[in-house]
Amino acid sequence: MAGKRLNKKLVFTALGLLLAGVTLASLAAGQVKVPIESVLAVVGRHLGSPVELPGVVPTPEQIAVIWHIRLPRTLVGVLVGAALGVSGAVMQGVFGNPLADPGIIGVSAGASLGAVIAVSLGLTSISLYYMPLFALIGAVLAVATTVALSMRDGKIPVMTLLLAGVAVSMFTGAVTSAILTFMNEYRLREFLFWMVGGLDYRRWEHVYLAIGPVVVGILILCVLARHLNILVLGEQEARAVGMPVAFFRMLLLCVSAVTTASAVCVSGSIGFVGLVVPHIMRMLIGPEHRSLLPACALTGAIFLLACDTVGRLLIPPAEIRVGIVTALTGAPYFLYLLRRAQKAGGL
Amino acid sequence: MNDTESLALSVAGVDVQLGDRLIVRDCSFTVGRGEFIGIIGPNGAGKSTLMKSLRGMLPLAAGTVRVFDHPIHSLGDKNAARLVAYMQQEVNVGFGFTALEVVLAGRYSYLKWWRNESEHDRSIARKYMAFTGTEPLADKPVNQVSGGERQRILLAKVLAQETPLIFLDEPTASLDLVYQEEIFRYCQTICAEMKSVLLIAHDIKLAAKFCSRLILLAEGRIVADGSPDEVITVENLERAYGLHAAVFMNQVTGNLDIHTYEAPAQTQQPGTVHVIGGGGAAASILRALYEQGCRLSAGVLQPGDTDADVASAFAVDVVMGQSFCAIGAAQAETNRRKIAEADVVVLGNICYGQQNLDNLQAAFFAHKLIVIEDTPISERDYTGGTAAGLYGQLVRQAQVEVMTSEEFMGRVVTGKIGKQ
Repeated sequence: MAGKRLNKKLVFTALGLLLAGVTLASLAAGQVKVPIESVLAVVGRHLGSPVELPGVVPTPEQIAVIWHIRLPRTLVGVLVGAALGVSGAVMQGVFGNPLADPGIIGVSAGASLGAVIAVSLGLTSISLYYMPLFALIGAVLAVATTVALSMRDGKIPVMTLLLAGVAVSMFTGAVTSAILTFMNEYRLREFLFWMVGGLDYRRWEHVYLAIGPVVVGILILCVLARHLNILVLGEQEARAVGMPVAFFRMLLLCVSAVTTASAVCVSGSIGFVGLVVPHIMRMLIGPEHRSLLPACALTGAIFLLACDTVGRLLIPPAEIRVGIVTALTGAPYFLYLLRRAQKAGGL
Repeated sequence: MNDTESLALSVAGVDVQLGDRLIVRDCSFTVGRGEFIGIIGPNGAGKSTLMKSLRGMLPLAAGTVRVFDHPIHSLGDKNAARLVAYMQQEVNVGFGFTALEVVLAGRYSYLKWWRNESEHDRSIARKYMAFTGTEPLADKPVNQVSGGERQRILLAKVLAQETPLIFLDEPTASLDLVYQEEIFRYCQTICAEMKSVLLIAHDIKLAAKFCSRLILLAEGRIVADGSPDEVITVENLERAYGLHAAVFMNQVTGNLDIHTYEAPAQTQQPGTVHVIGGGGAAASILRALYEQGCRLSAGVLQPGDTDADVASAFAVDVVMGQSFCAIGAAQAETNRRKIAEADVVVLGNICYGQQNLDNLQAAFFAHKLIVIEDTPISERDYTGGTAAGLYGQLVRQAQVEVMTSEEFMGRVVTGKIGKQ
C-alpha cells in the first residue's frame, strides 16, 4: 500500500498553498465573478486590516456577495471537509479497517432522523438553527445507542460495535422513511435538499454553529494521534505496551463522532470525503497519525471546496450540490485505488 | 535465588478459565532473574493462555501471579508494561507503519499522554534495532519486510520497553531454521544482562539447546519443570505429547536430540530379535524394529560406531566390543548366547575384516536368520576370501533367508518380522 513516502514538510506546504488557492477560487468564482484583488480587499476590510489594497474599490454588490454569501459557504466547506477527513482517518484507525467511516456507527443515519423530525415538525421555518440542532442531537443519540448496545462489562468488542452500528443505522433509517411517507411534498423536498449535502445558502449562523465543536474536536484528535498509532497495532499489542485500550477507543470514537455530527448537521450528508481522503493521504505520507490527521484535515477541506466550486461552475446558473460531486468523483477514484491495491496484492 | 527480592515472577496455583473450560490448572513456578525459560508442550496445552494470564490479560480463576512481588492484576496498565513486555503470537501490523514507528510503540508506557517521544526514546529504539540487526529497516513499512525481519523488529519493540521480564509467545513460529536460532541467541544475550525471558517454543530441540530451563505443559498442567535434560525424557514426552520418542545425545551437534515415531497400531507380542551389525549396517534395521515394538538385542558392536549410538538411543541390549580390536572371547560368547535365544536374527549388510569376522561365525547359531544383502559379499570382504567362503556356506543353510534392505523394511512395516 505504501509506496514512496513524500517529504512531510513538502506535503504540508503544498497542501497549505493549495487550500489558500482553492479558498480564493471558491470566493472569486460563481455567477457574479469577483476579481481576486477585490476578494482580498473585502475580506481584509472586514477583518480590520489597516492596509487597503491600492486602486481596488469593491462594489457594494461584490461586498455583499463575498461577505454574506460566499465566505460563510467557503468556511462551512473548510470546516466540514476538515472534520470529515480527520474523523474518517480516526474511525479507520479505531476499527483497524481502511473502509470505516463515521457513518458506520450511525452518525449519518442519526443526523438524518434528527433532520427529518425538525422538518416534519415545521421547525425549519421558525429558525435556521433547528435543523442542524436536531441533526446533531440525532447523530449523538444514534452513536450513544450504538455504543450502549455493544458495551458489555465495560468492554466494546469492535465487531459487536460494527454490527450494532449497522442495526442502529437500519432502524433509524426505517423510522426516517416512515416519517417521510407522511410528509407533504414541500417538506419532502426540504428534507431531500438536506439529505444531498450541500453548501448553498450557508450563512454565518452555520459557521458559528459548527466552528466550535469542529475546531476543538480536530485539535483533540490531533493531540491523541500518538495513542491512535498504538491502537492501530491491535488491542493486544496496545495493552501489552501499557495502553488503557477501552478508554482511548471510547474517547476517540466519541470525539470523532461529535466532530462529524457537528459538521454533517450544517452541511447534510456528504459521502466519500471521510473514506477517500484518509486513504490517499496514507499512501502519500504514511500511517503515522500525528502527520496523517492534520494532512487529512487540510486535504478534506481542499477536496470539499474544490468539489463545491466545480459544482457551481459546471452548468450555470444551476448548481450541482457538493454531496453529489464528492460521490461522483470520489467513488470512481476509490474503485481505482481498490483495483490497484488488489493488483499489488491485498490492501 | 531463594529470596523474593530476586524473583522476577512467582506463580502460585494459577487456574485460568476460558468460557466454561478450565484451560490452565494449578500452575505454580517461579522465575529468577537472568533465567531463560522455554515453555513447551503440545498444541492446546494452554501455553499461550498461561502466558496471557501471567501478563494480566486474562483474569485468573484461582491463584496469584506476582511480578517483582507486585500482583500483576493490581498493577496499572502502564506500570505492568514497565515490568513485563509481551510479544504475542501473531501481530498484524496494518496500514504500513514503518519499523521505527512500531519499535517506538514500545516506549508508550514511559510517555505522559500529551507528550511525544523524545530524542532519548528514539535513541533507545535505535539501540535495540541495532541489537536485532533491523536498523537498516527503520524507515521501511513492516508489511513489506520478510518474516524473519518482522519478528526481529517486533523483538526490538519488546526490548525497547526495557522491562526486566520478557514474555515471547512463539516468536519463532513460521521462521526458517536460521532465523529461529537467531531469535533464541538474542534471548540468551538478553538473559546474560539479568533480564528474564519466558518463551513459548514449538521446537523442543531448539528450546533444549538454548534455554536454561524448560517447563513442559500438557492439558493445562505443568508436567515437568527443570533443566532441559531433566525435562526432555522419554517418559515426560510420552506423558505430554503421547509421543513415542527416543531421546539421545546427537554426536554431530552435541545437543539433546529426539527421534519420534508412531506407535504400532496393533498390540502384538513380538518375539526377540537380535541384530548383527557394525559400520552403520544395523542402524535403520534397529530403528525400524524398535518402532514396531520388538524386543531387541544387538552385537557385537564397536563403541562410537553409528550402530552403537542408535542402539543406545533406543535402549537396545548391546553386546559391546572394543574399538579397533578383534571381538574378544567373552563378547563372542555372549553374542552367541543372545543369537541362540533370539526368535529371529538379522545379519546386516556388514563389511567383514579380521576384527569382526566372529560376527559372521556367530550367525550360524541362529534358529532363524535373515541375511540382508544389498551389495555382493565379494565387495564387502576384506579378509582375503575367508569371509566370502563362510558367507557362501551360511546362505545355503535351511534356516536362512536372503533379502535386500528394501524387502526387509517392507516386511517390518507389515509386521511380518519378529512374529512367530
